[in-house]
Amino acid sequence: MVLVLLCVIITIINPNFLSFSNFVRISQAAMIPLVLGLGATFIILMGSIDLSVEGGLTLSTVILSMLVLNGANSNDLGLLAVLIVLAVGAGLGLVNGVIHVHLKVPSFMTTLGVWFIGVGAANALLGGMAIRINDPFIRGLAIERFLGFPRGVWLALGCLVVALVIQNYTRLGRYIYALGGGEELAALSGISVARVRIMAFTLAGIFYAIGGILAAAQLGLGNAQIGNGRLFTTVTAVVVGGTALSGGHGSVLQTLVGVLIVVVLSNGMVLMGVPPSVQIGVQGLMIIAAVALSIDRKLMRIVK
Amino acid sequence: MSGLADRIGTDRLRQWLPLVTLIVLVIIVGTMQPVFLQPSTLLQLASDTAVLFILATGVTFVIMLGGIDLSIQSMASLASVIVALTVARLGYGAFALAIGIGVLAGLLSGLAHVRLKIPSFIATLASGGVLYSSALVISGERSITLPDTERAYQTWITGTPFGIPNVIIIGLVVLLVAHLLQSHTRFGRYSAAIGAGEPAAYASGVKVSRQKILAFMLSGGFAALAGVVLAGRLASGSPTLAAELLLPSIAAVVVGGTAITGGVGSIWRTLVGALIISVVRIGMTFLGVNIFAQNIVFGVVLIVAVATTIDRSKIPIVK
Repeated sequence: MVLVLLCVIITIINPNFLSFSNFVRISQAAMIPLVLGLGATFIILMGSIDLSVEGGLTLSTVILSMLVLNGANSNDLGLLAVLIVLAVGAGLGLVNGVIHVHLKVPSFMTTLGVWFIGVGAANALLGGMAIRINDPFIRGLAIERFLGFPRGVWLALGCLVVALVIQNYTRLGRYIYALGGGEELAALSGISVARVRIMAFTLAGIFYAIGGILAAAQLGLGNAQIGNGRLFTTVTAVVVGGTALSGGHGSVLQTLVGVLIVVVLSNGMVLMGVPPSVQIGVQGLMIIAAVALSIDRKLMRIVK
Repeated sequence: MSGLADRIGTDRLRQWLPLVTLIVLVIIVGTMQPVFLQPSTLLQLASDTAVLFILATGVTFVIMLGGIDLSIQSMASLASVIVALTVARLGYGAFALAIGIGVLAGLLSGLAHVRLKIPSFIATLASGGVLYSSALVISGERSITLPDTERAYQTWITGTPFGIPNVIIIGLVVLLVAHLLQSHTRFGRYSAAIGAGEPAAYASGVKVSRQKILAFMLSGGFAALAGVVLAGRLASGSPTLAAELLLPSIAAVVVGGTAITGGVGSIWRTLVGALIISVVRIGMTFLGVNIFAQNIVFGVVLIVAVATTIDRSKIPIVK
């Protein structure tokens, strides 16, 4: 509803909004937030939070840029590099999950730590440089088109399908909902809560790594600032889509809607000539409004 | 594995571990680099710790209640921009303005958290974004250097009247004020009560909402003060001036032994924690660790400290 209304308003103000080239622009801007948001949705559905989005993405981008054909060293691993990066993302997510579950550290603290570990590691690897990516396959994700849209957009849509399948047709997906709906109940019905949590964080880590690959493709280089601001957009998209922070309610499709709202709004603001720096503030207000309007909050007596 | 974590977290260790860690660290760094123990280096260390300590002090009040404030670095940066932009016209009033806006921002975060029932980490993540955006807009997205003519106003921050830098004195005043607030006011006792058990505090008639809002106002005010001091020391204001300080500040609070679950903690622990962070940072610099890579160490330190200080009996379900 909000999305449709938003599109109508922006079209009235600036008819260019409805042009095909603008659709492509929106899809390009939406592909990375969508992939990141899909990962974060699974975590938020459990009632946890993942602040390590930027850490996973930055480290993935930097490692990718060092392993494929690039301007700084003679590596050229091609697709193998992509697999390594996915493994790195999964590993970082696994670390999140294991610390969170086995040391019983609240997820926002664990992932806050891992966020900075990831960015710090990326910085240590680069030493302040930026590495140019020359690999034709990676660059092609952003440049080469299929049916008018860049390949990266199709990749993001593929991720959406995978996430939908995991959410609706696997035990992991059902267990994640069960955990968010009520953890004691889930544990009593024989679900291994620890395993589900660790798997969900690992899964999220893989999605952040894919986000990192897309970011590397879009910018054509790996640097340690590539993740700046992405956590904010991701969390905004997920909660604006209507997934409740208390867990149990929401879906990856709602995240798609949330991402489109955020991206269309910022696209609209660009068309209306609002400077990008204002958009961060608008997103902040959107988070507060979306969470305040979400349903489950009235059931909670203590909010920390 | 969780059994091990529980054993490490016994009460006695929790209380003395931070101070012992600090002393051991000082001895280690001191033996590696004897220069470190000279009075001038120690004064430098104390001055460098002051900003971190002021930020950490503010957030200590919020953590004592069992909440968190993720907007402090944005607030401090915004304060530095406000000072840089207005000091020419308002003189000393610029500092008051910056701190006033800090308190106001804390009030708004607190209201969003309490009235709209938004978890504090998400409310302050969002308000931090709003503050960062404001700083970007009013500064025109650039760093503003203070001209020499306006630096006279900064001497209360940068001066060294009796061989001791004023920054250290500001830090000590903050310590004193925060200690009084925590140990000798109703607010301090209520905060500890809410952190220890919110339903019990609520049932005994404590106005929980008001204490929470007050804690966020203090956090915002101290964050702004930290930004003002930072602007004075660096003679500039910028929307990213304090961006690297969020993690060290929270790490300082929990490394000092204040539990992230609330109820247990004090300003003195935060002081010890802030000193530990500074000594670790200087030690790493001596060892030649890249300044950005130091975040890896702080991230690990944060997780280890939280894991050892947390009161697990209070959270049956860890989310």
